[in-house]
Amino acid sequence: MTDQQRSVAIHVPVLARVEGEGALDLRIEDGDIAELRLRIFEPPRFFEKFLEGRHYTEIPDMVARICGICPVAYQVTAAQALEKLFGVELDPWARDMRRVFYCGEWIQSHSLHIHLLAAPDFFGCNNAIELARIAPEEVRRGLRIQALGNELMDLFGARSVHPVGVRIGGFHGAPSLARIQAMREKLRAALPEAEALIRWAAAIPMPQDDQAFVSVATHHPTDYAIERGQIAVSDGLRIEADAFDAHFAEQHVPHSTALFSTYHQQPYLVGPLARLNLNHVRLPEQVRALLTESGLVLPSRNLFDSLLARAVEILLALHEALRLLDGYRVPDSPWVPVTPRAGVAIGCTEAPRGLLWHRYEMDGEGRVVNARIVPPTSQNQGRIEEDLRLSLLNFGLDHPDDALRLHCEKVIRNYDPCISCATHFLRFNLDRA
Amino acid sequence: MVVDALLSGGVQAGGETVIDKLDRPGATLVSLLEQADWAILIDAIQGNGQPGTIRRFDQRDWPAYRGGLSSHGFGVLDALMLARELGSLPSRLDLYGIEIGSASPGEEARSEILAASAQLAQRIAADLADPIR
Repeated sequence: MTDQQRSVAIHVPVLARVEGEGALDLRIEDGDIAELRLRIFEPPRFFEKFLEGRHYTEIPDMVARICGICPVAYQVTAAQALEKLFGVELDPWARDMRRVFYCGEWIQSHSLHIHLLAAPDFFGCNNAIELARIAPEEVRRGLRIQALGNELMDLFGARSVHPVGVRIGGFHGAPSLARIQAMREKLRAALPEAEALIRWAAAIPMPQDDQAFVSVATHHPTDYAIERGQIAVSDGLRIEADAFDAHFAEQHVPHSTALFSTYHQQPYLVGPLARLNLNHVRLPEQVRALLTESGLVLPSRNLFDSLLARAVEILLALHEALRLLDGYRVPDSPWVPVTPRAGVAIGCTEAPRGLLWHRYEMDGEGRVVNARIVPPTSQNQGRIEEDLRLSLLNFGLDHPDDALRLHCEKVIRNYDPCISCATHFLRFNLDRA
Repeated sequence: MVVDALLSGGVQAGGETVIDKLDRPGATLVSLLEQADWAILIDAIQGNGQPGTIRRFDQRDWPAYRGGLSSHGFGVLDALMLARELGSLPSRLDLYGIEIGSASPGEEARSEILAASAQLAQRIAADLADPIR
């Protein structure tokens, strides 16, 4: 409900959730947005301090605890950074399997977000349980794809939640050929399901929005970048991970304990749509053909295309895992020896939610002097605020309060921030002037 | 703890019986339930009861559920409700909760919770031996 003066204040109380806490304050006065503030308190800040004094061998298991949904991203980014500092040359087997491992995480995280968090919004449903009532086969398919992603993570990580398979120098163990062959059959069987998912996602009527924004993602000369690559920006900048601080800044803002990230003083987008905008030419031919069929024009300026972007990346991840598991062999050793040395280790990869950047200062014994982790959710925070402002103005501020609230939720969930785990989290108090 | 008590009490997996500890299964629980005719689920709960209290829930209790203790907003009961919507619930589902009171990371389980786990394991072992009960 809105009143004639168009003076509306929406306050979303702080939420205490395991994977993140957030709040949104929105005040509309005289038909315009007078105040819009998003606050996200992301957990990694605590971990940076926890890591100090820890031996490098402990880091992969510790950073896996940062997120229950994307632990692989944290493990692989830390390993990449430290291996670079220690001058470790990974065995080609380990290099390939890191990417396969990461594909498992993309598959499960994206399918979880599409089916359990985002899609209900676009079918007028309050949650996935209601969506299952009207689209049971699609939800079943989504659960199967998600379970397959979990299984792939379990294969290399010994478990899918907070896996323990990665070590600096490779993996602790290597799956048997028989297990890999069984996995290959499952991955192959999932291809038509993922193709059907793309067609389904492309047919969902999405709000039309058109915004200019900066896309940032890692970029690789031959691969669709996941676990390696330079940092690329849609304005043409290409830099190594070491140069992050020369172009990107994290800063405190008065209304949040989280840091806001900016690129040359402006907000920017990380995540599936940013990746697709920058790297779609690196998609395998089969995936690119289906993308063309979907009608999605890239680069996209509509954040609501993020759901389709996730579906496209699921198919990519299936193809990549299959390609890299072709001709699988059990290595003589799944890891190479490591000799630590003092210095600064920097690395970046593409977590399901976007660019993840790590920096570790290490002493000569291989212990962490200090750590800095820049997760995707905090990088997107400024962009979400900007998007909410533009999207609400485009949507129209005269809609009833419930419609405004739902629209805000939809916009925020496009980014799959940790707080989107709490579906329909916008419990707001309304004050009228 | 109940699984450990079951195993130490001589109940073994094998044949048509699967005994598993699940670490925050989320929606994965749906596909696991799909394969079962009879599922016994045990979880820790924080309610108003004394630590160590065993509660058994049936489907009439589900609508009263709000939020709960899940991470990522999709917990055991969400998964059960989704499974019900998809027609994936086993024909028999025994859902138990053990009150744990407050809990801190790394803290040892209290004696009353260990006792409740052993008690519930005995009850489940008896059910498995005589499913008609």
